[in-house]
Amino acid sequence: MALMKVKFDQKKRVKLAQGLWLMNWISVLTGIILFSLGIFLKIELKKRSEVMNNSESHFVPNSLIGVGVLACIFNALGGKICYDALDPAKYSKWKPWLKPFLIICVLFNIFLFLVSLFCFLMRGSLESTLTHGLKNGMKYYRDTDTPGRCFMKKTIDMLQIEFRCCGNNGFRDWFEVQWISNRYLDFASKEVKDRIKSNVDGRYLVDGVPFSCCNPNSPRPCIQTQLTNNSAHYSYDYQTEELNLWIRGCREALLHYYSSMMNTMGAIVLLVWLFEVTITVGLRYLHTALENVANPEDPECESEGWLLEKSVSETWKSILESLKKLGKGSQVEAAADEGGQAPPAS
Amino acid sequence: MAVFLPLPLPLQARIRLAQGLWLFSWLLTLAGGLTLISSGHLLAQLWHLSPFLDPTCSFPALPKTALAAGAAALGMGVVGAGITRASLDAARYPPWRGVLGPILLAGTLGGGGLLALAVGLALALPRGLDAALENGLGTALAHYKDTEVPGHCNAKRLMDELQLAYHCCGRHSYKDWFTVQWIGSRYLDPNNQDVIDQIHSNVEGLYLIDGVPFSCCNPHSPWPCLQNQLSSTQVHPLSDPRQPNLNLWEQGCHGVLLRLLGGLASTLGTVLGITFLLQVLVLLGLRYLQTALEGLGGAIDGEGDTQGYLFSGGLKEMLKSAFQQGLCAQRPVPEEVPPEAPAEEVPAEA
Repeated sequence: MALMKVKFDQKKRVKLAQGLWLMNWISVLTGIILFSLGIFLKIELKKRSEVMNNSESHFVPNSLIGVGVLACIFNALGGKICYDALDPAKYSKWKPWLKPFLIICVLFNIFLFLVSLFCFLMRGSLESTLTHGLKNGMKYYRDTDTPGRCFMKKTIDMLQIEFRCCGNNGFRDWFEVQWISNRYLDFASKEVKDRIKSNVDGRYLVDGVPFSCCNPNSPRPCIQTQLTNNSAHYSYDYQTEELNLWIRGCREALLHYYSSMMNTMGAIVLLVWLFEVTITVGLRYLHTALENVANPEDPECESEGWLLEKSVSETWKSILESLKKLGKGSQVEAAADEGGQAPPAS
Repeated sequence: MAVFLPLPLPLQARIRLAQGLWLFSWLLTLAGGLTLISSGHLLAQLWHLSPFLDPTCSFPALPKTALAAGAAALGMGVVGAGITRASLDAARYPPWRGVLGPILLAGTLGGGGLLALAVGLALALPRGLDAALENGLGTALAHYKDTEVPGHCNAKRLMDELQLAYHCCGRHSYKDWFTVQWIGSRYLDPNNQDVIDQIHSNVEGLYLIDGVPFSCCNPHSPWPCLQNQLSSTQVHPLSDPRQPNLNLWEQGCHGVLLRLLGGLASTLGTVLGITFLLQVLVLLGLRYLQTALEGLGGAIDGEGDTQGYLFSGGLKEMLKSAFQQGLCAQRPVPEEVPPEAPAEEVPAEA
């Protein structure tokens, strides 16, 4: 009892082959789109690798690139096969390769589905990478003299301006790190000496933020220093003031940016996956329909196409049996070898 | 009758001319497309920067004219390519004969006129831009503090975003901020003695300080941004005078915007110039092709030598003949008869 049997006459077979040929070449285009999506994501991740500790996982963009290339190759091959399927002479060349090709297509489709799942799941690993990366970025903000870290200030400032965010979770993160380098502190001043003494680690901590946290939408000029001191500024209440600095933390802003990008990509990959499954199913029908042409001399005859020759459970049993036979076959050979060696010894 | 700039065009030369014209028509289409793209870009930039441009001069006129000229050039190129393809095929040429004259006229007056106007505007733009930017930026600076005055409440945000995006400070330098009061009076403490002294020392009662807004800060600076007390060197002894001052943005916004918009306008002018040249070539070529084929009576494959010319005589005669051609196009049959009659007479005589 075959799975999902469909009757095909000559016309239907020809139409199926032509439709599949067109779909395969459209799929090559979508493969190119997947490839370029992978390259785009890779470039975006590399652009911000400084705030991600250079330890971000490039698994998703690399797999998108690989899947795009594979899709192009397999679908171009599939298109050629469909084109040749209408010519019995050319088709006989492809016949022995078609079954392995279909198995590879099924495996590729499974992999494509997994890639689309990963696009949606990458958010978790990105969140932890960003937390650590931004923390370190803020710690090294003042090290503009240390080679290897001298661009961290510029990177963090440009990031906060571009993504309209401040600090890791909020602007108070800046109160916990020393972001003013010792080189620009006047150690002769009493105020500086008091602050450093009052801190256990000898750091100069202020309740101020860098200029890049300022929000241009605020009606008053930006207040960056003595943020928690209401009396330091006229008509200022730090608990109700919302427009002075950016409220959002940079981790949230970057996460939102990358999540929306990867959600879109995941949706596109899902659509491509559906398309590829349709192509594989159509190819299977074409394969079985052409196999079952009863009389090779009469191309006009009807034939049946199906997905699986027997039902799912029977097919699974037969696969297991053939695997067992393979195992037994190697055992029998080994026994025959031993048997052959033993008599000469005795 | 005296013809203007005649050119003998035997069959081979006509074919060459048609093929060359086909290529140039597609080049004209490409140039028209490029004009559309660059004028669209300039229009977008002018709209984006309109708060800083004094509204006395209407700057969008240039890109709008260029858009129209680009569309006309595109259309002319496509039509020209169609005509030249048809002129190589005897069956397809007759429908084009009647409309060719009006098309050439429309192309010359419409397309050429628009292009000339656009080129003129492109050349005149930079001067007007200079004055408009000067006034516009001055107004923006003066209204920076008026975040609660209706009509100017966006000036602060727009100015900050301009300085952050284009990496500039003030009109010509950061010192422009020392000459305007950019802190709103609402946020000045009236009981503070420093504030009172500052206001009294100024003729107009403005609170002027030697400080700049945060958007002037340069992120490339190795130290945290110094925004206040910029005139007094004692307060910041650690800044090294030998190294270039990276603390604030060096350039003034006037120069940056002038260079940006001037660059876009000159690119547009160049593209318009190339389009104009191509359009002139295509129109001339089409005119020669038209007159040469008219000399043969519309028969494409005629082996005879004909002449192509620009104008068959004076201006009046040219207009009259164009008008007559337009009328004759509506009565095709009588035109075919006269050339056949002499041909029939000749064998009869022979």
